[in-house]
Amino acid sequence: MGLGATVGADLLAVPFPKMVLSLAQAISKGQLALDQASLNTLKVLAKTKFDYIPEITEVLSPSEDINAGGVTVTGVDVELITPRALKLTLLQAGIVPTFYQFTESVIEVKMSISSKVESQSEFEFGIETEASAGFLFASGSVSSHVNFKTSNTFSYSAEGSSLLRTTLKPTPPPARMMPRFITVNTLVQPPTVTFSE
Amino acid sequence: MPVQMWFIAQKGDVTEETTRELTRAVREQGGLILMMTRTGPLVALDDQVAPLVERHPLVGLMGPVSLNPRGLAVDRLQHIFAENLSKQLDLAAFDKTEAAPE
Repeated sequence: MGLGATVGADLLAVPFPKMVLSLAQAISKGQLALDQASLNTLKVLAKTKFDYIPEITEVLSPSEDINAGGVTVTGVDVELITPRALKLTLLQAGIVPTFYQFTESVIEVKMSISSKVESQSEFEFGIETEASAGFLFASGSVSSHVNFKTSNTFSYSAEGSSLLRTTLKPTPPPARMMPRFITVNTLVQPPTVTFSE
Repeated sequence: MPVQMWFIAQKGDVTEETTRELTRAVREQGGLILMMTRTGPLVALDDQVAPLVERHPLVGLMGPVSLNPRGLAVDRLQHIFAENLSKQLDLAAFDKTEAAPE
């Protein structure tokens, strides 16, 4: 198997589909938990009531003049008309739970593959001759040697790192989760109808 | 430091004592009380310290909330928030921060 094939196999070995699936499942679970928390808050807000007095009317009417230290001051009667307090829930009043949404998710996979092939050969050839001659005889010797060394070094390393990043942003409450308020105010004549969401 | 509005529903009976303890816990984390309700306080709190407050034994439920501009009493709520905040903000410290050289 060539080096290119090995690198290709390593790249293919990255469990990308599994990573995407895991991320999607994690986001799905996270989104569900966030929505449930927001809905729980919504329920509590819908149950929490407070007394809302939209306006207080002061009616000033002339009264008997008052003489204070020799100075005549026009007298005024102040009549305070406080209407019946409205029982509003916090949700009606205008407090809504914040909903969040995963808007963007990124999977970043980084791989570093390095390979090194070293091939080294050494060839050595040597010959030695020796000759001697005497009166009656002569001798000679020849010796030779051949050394051949070869070494191959092969190193291969593959390193990988992955980064998962998601962005969470607040979003307006889903329209279907938020009730529409229709307020019929019978405190005034004729009664008024107000729509709010 | 993203500060946002949180609604805290108290666990158990809401009494003056428990409310005081809870608001103290919020203030200790740098939070501000926007309004008190019969269920619990509405507070302004940093996201980073919100989990610390959430772990308080008196907290039954805590969730981020925002103002719906089309609510029936939004103006009144904002007025209440502003009034309550003005009582808690350390204006002297704010002035020092403003005057500090860069």
